[in-house]
Amino acid sequence: MNDIATSIKDNSDKPVKITITLPTTAYFMSGIRDFTLSLIRNTTDFSEQWAYRFQSVVDELCNNAIEHGSRPGEEIKIVFINNPSDSIEFLVEDSGTGEKSMKAAEIAAIVEKSSNNDVPLTELRGRGLSKIVKEWSDELEFKDKPDGGIIVRVKKSLKDAKAKELKQELSLAGDQTHIVV
Amino acid sequence: MPTPAEITIEDVESSSPEVVVKIVKFSGQLDESNVDDKAKLIYDLIEQNPKNLNMIFDFEELEYMNSKSIGYLTDWYGKVYENGGKIVIAKTRPNILDILQVVGLTQLIKTYPTIDEAKFAITH
Repeated sequence: MNDIATSIKDNSDKPVKITITLPTTAYFMSGIRDFTLSLIRNTTDFSEQWAYRFQSVVDELCNNAIEHGSRPGEEIKIVFINNPSDSIEFLVEDSGTGEKSMKAAEIAAIVEKSSNNDVPLTELRGRGLSKIVKEWSDELEFKDKPDGGIIVRVKKSLKDAKAKELKQELSLAGDQTHIVV
Repeated sequence: MPTPAEITIEDVESSSPEVVVKIVKFSGQLDESNVDDKAKLIYDLIEQNPKNLNMIFDFEELEYMNSKSIGYLTDWYGKVYENGGKIVIAKTRPNILDILQVVGLTQLIKTYPTIDEAKFAITH
């Protein structure tokens, strides 16, 4: 992985696309999380903190596709697109055959509603897409596939991630100054 | 196979026989493949100690938690709190703390850097 990663990082500014197809079972998700972490660490300029954040984003997108989008025995597709020095994108596709399958507009409306009206703190569900994925991405888009199912696309720009880190550091430094004073 | 994760429970000496204090240690990764099964241990513990149950969740060895496991955490908190108990979290890794913060859970459950500080908070 490291050799491949180094060659991807050194070679060009062209986008690098990696596609993984998985059966609809959560048993493979720890491997996908490990892959996401390695990919971000070794082939992008995102920080360690963002590598862990994207691990959660990808996990939540896949869990949603497995739980709602595709029935057992079918597949989901995960696409990683690394735009070097610019951004990272994740796309997760389901087949639309799951029992609780929804159209793109329905799921987008639910996410929008949940993120605008904060999920009650003691509520059991509803934090995956509306909090973790939405908070840690710049673009979150749901699209219906012509043959059934949806594609969820998430994009995060490197510039914005770095700006947020700087803001966080300044805020922490500000707190320390306040304590010292 | 489910992702490996363990939950172990230790008793802590309490100042009153009516107050139960437990350290609950989490290790591994809590995800969609194992969390429903692992959550039963905590629900059993709550059922066995219906009043004044105080739990310190030791997250030092917890590597990952998904949104569903955060949902369980809030449900346990609600059940314990309404029966006179408390839950606090100790020794959280930065990536776990980041997740807890983004979903707003740190507004509900307090986090401490050490077990001693968590013990002090839960028993005072």
